[in-house]
Amino acid sequence: MACLHDHSCEDNDCSSNWSLYKHIDLPKVSALNEAVPGSAKSVFKPWEHRLNSSEEHLESNEGDPELLVYIPFTSDVKIKSIAIIGGTDGTSPSKMRAFINRDGIDFSDAQNMQAVQEWDLVENLNGLLEFQTRYAKFQSVASITLHFPDNFGGDTSQIHYIGFKGEATQLKRDVVATIVYELMPNPSDHKTKAESGGGFSQVE
Amino acid sequence: MVLEATMICIDNSEWMRNGDYSPSRFQAQADAVNLLCGAKTQSNPENTVGILTMAGKQVRVLTTPTSDLGKILSCMHGLEVGGEMNLSAGIQVAQLALKHRQNKNQQQRIIVFAGSPVQYDKKMLETIGKKLKKNNVSLDIVDFGDDEEGKLEKLDALFAAVNSNESSHIIHIPPGGAAISTALMSTPVFTGDGEGGSGFAAAAAAGGGDFDFGVDPNLDPELALALRVSMEEERARQEAAAKRAADEAARQEKGEPSNSQDATMVGKAAEATNNASEPMDEVNALLQQAIALSMENSGSDPSVHDSEMAEATNEDQDLAMALQISIQEAAKASSSQSDMSKVLEDPSFMPSVLASLPGVDPDDPSVKELLASLQGQSESKQKNEDNPPSDGK
Repeated sequence: MACLHDHSCEDNDCSSNWSLYKHIDLPKVSALNEAVPGSAKSVFKPWEHRLNSSEEHLESNEGDPELLVYIPFTSDVKIKSIAIIGGTDGTSPSKMRAFINRDGIDFSDAQNMQAVQEWDLVENLNGLLEFQTRYAKFQSVASITLHFPDNFGGDTSQIHYIGFKGEATQLKRDVVATIVYELMPNPSDHKTKAESGGGFSQVE
Repeated sequence: MVLEATMICIDNSEWMRNGDYSPSRFQAQADAVNLLCGAKTQSNPENTVGILTMAGKQVRVLTTPTSDLGKILSCMHGLEVGGEMNLSAGIQVAQLALKHRQNKNQQQRIIVFAGSPVQYDKKMLETIGKKLKKNNVSLDIVDFGDDEEGKLEKLDALFAAVNSNESSHIIHIPPGGAAISTALMSTPVFTGDGEGGSGFAAAAAAGGGDFDFGVDPNLDPELALALRVSMEEERARQEAAAKRAADEAARQEKGEPSNSQDATMVGKAAEATNNASEPMDEVNALLQQAIALSMENSGSDPSVHDSEMAEATNEDQDLAMALQISIQEAAKASSSQSDMSKVLEDPSFMPSVLASLPGVDPDDPSVKELLASLQGQSESKQKNEDNPPSDGK
């Protein structure tokens, strides 16, 4: 489902709706089949800058329009809708499939698995078109993987902007993920009070 | 220090029995794999390595990616060599094994040892390469063994399809040179994309290069000193021997043209000897050095064995060399008129000596020819010493 904005977007109202951009864990964003490694991060920008095509964009390898983008969030979010700005000349993606809370998906997994939701996209060069989600399924999203299997006939697929609209909760889905396991002991981490001078040292 | 899961694809096909890498291709490969596993696990404690074999009835995964070095090394034992290598299936199984790695944060890498012919065509290899690139898997190809049937092109095509921003590498190791493990140590396969490398690989590579004798004077001063002293002694000895050989060579060059002409018994041998004498000069010089050192004699005559070489070139090169040495000794001895010459020219002595040499049959016609020429030679040489050069037969 798609819907157009029914008001002008010059004021800041719109950008605050798209504030999920701040909750994206940018260093951990990754993409498969990108022509320039690391270019996936460039498509996540504030709503106001969505049309800045001077910066780099995400492009797939030549002759292969498939793209897979993995987007983790810093906290659980609820996603209401997604906006995609593609490239010109048939390089815009034509379909989008979303997978929730799974990491390490590759192309063969994406093709075989049932997506949480699929959309048929249209060429959308100014980003005013947004694609609504089945909100019930997108209630606690820690990471979302977007699979773009095809485009409108271009040699490669290009994506200039991906935006998420919704709410962020303060919860984190997987608290254990932030723990760093100690593989090799580092004595400086284990100073007792006696060694660092002063204090009682209790042995039980 | 990249966090990486690696699958190593080992070639255990029939071609691995070849001894062009000592002790055998398979052993050299196994050493390289062991070193590689050690380097990977040391560079980052969370790295995992898995092994699979590509040849035989089927591609077999010996161990899935694990960080336990003991397990990896133990599964390298008892591997059998046989069958043909299946490169495409090997890479695909490796990719599957990497897909199911425990820690999805690890980068995926496949290292392929290709030591036998590749049956698949370029197209198929390119598709495999593209699929690897699409799934962000890096591929290192270690090409060793013979280059035949376009193996080099196929591997280069595969590498070109896989390589994205230099994370994949292809290494060619020609036979007869350094061992596979030493050759690999300086490459990005070990040092991890030139990041400054793991301490393991860097230390191993530097150990041979930094110090003269591979021994750190700080760690072991006595050993370093002993090595240095013996090196200098050897150098002094070689210089003295080289000087002596140079004097002899200057003397012999005057005598060579006349002797080589009447030395031949075969029709086209005149050219053959002249041709043979050129490469033989180097060999001559070295041999003279060695013999001069051992015999302490002056005045040798290498042209005698030039002719012998011409007759023997087509067969039994080793036999010819052995005879060459003994003939030289005979020549030296004869020129100095010692008792040795009489003994060596004794017709019964030479065959008995030859019979004791392994692989030599005294009844072999070529051997008999050589013996006959040896005896005829020593007589004609003494006659020709004062004669002007004749035009040959």
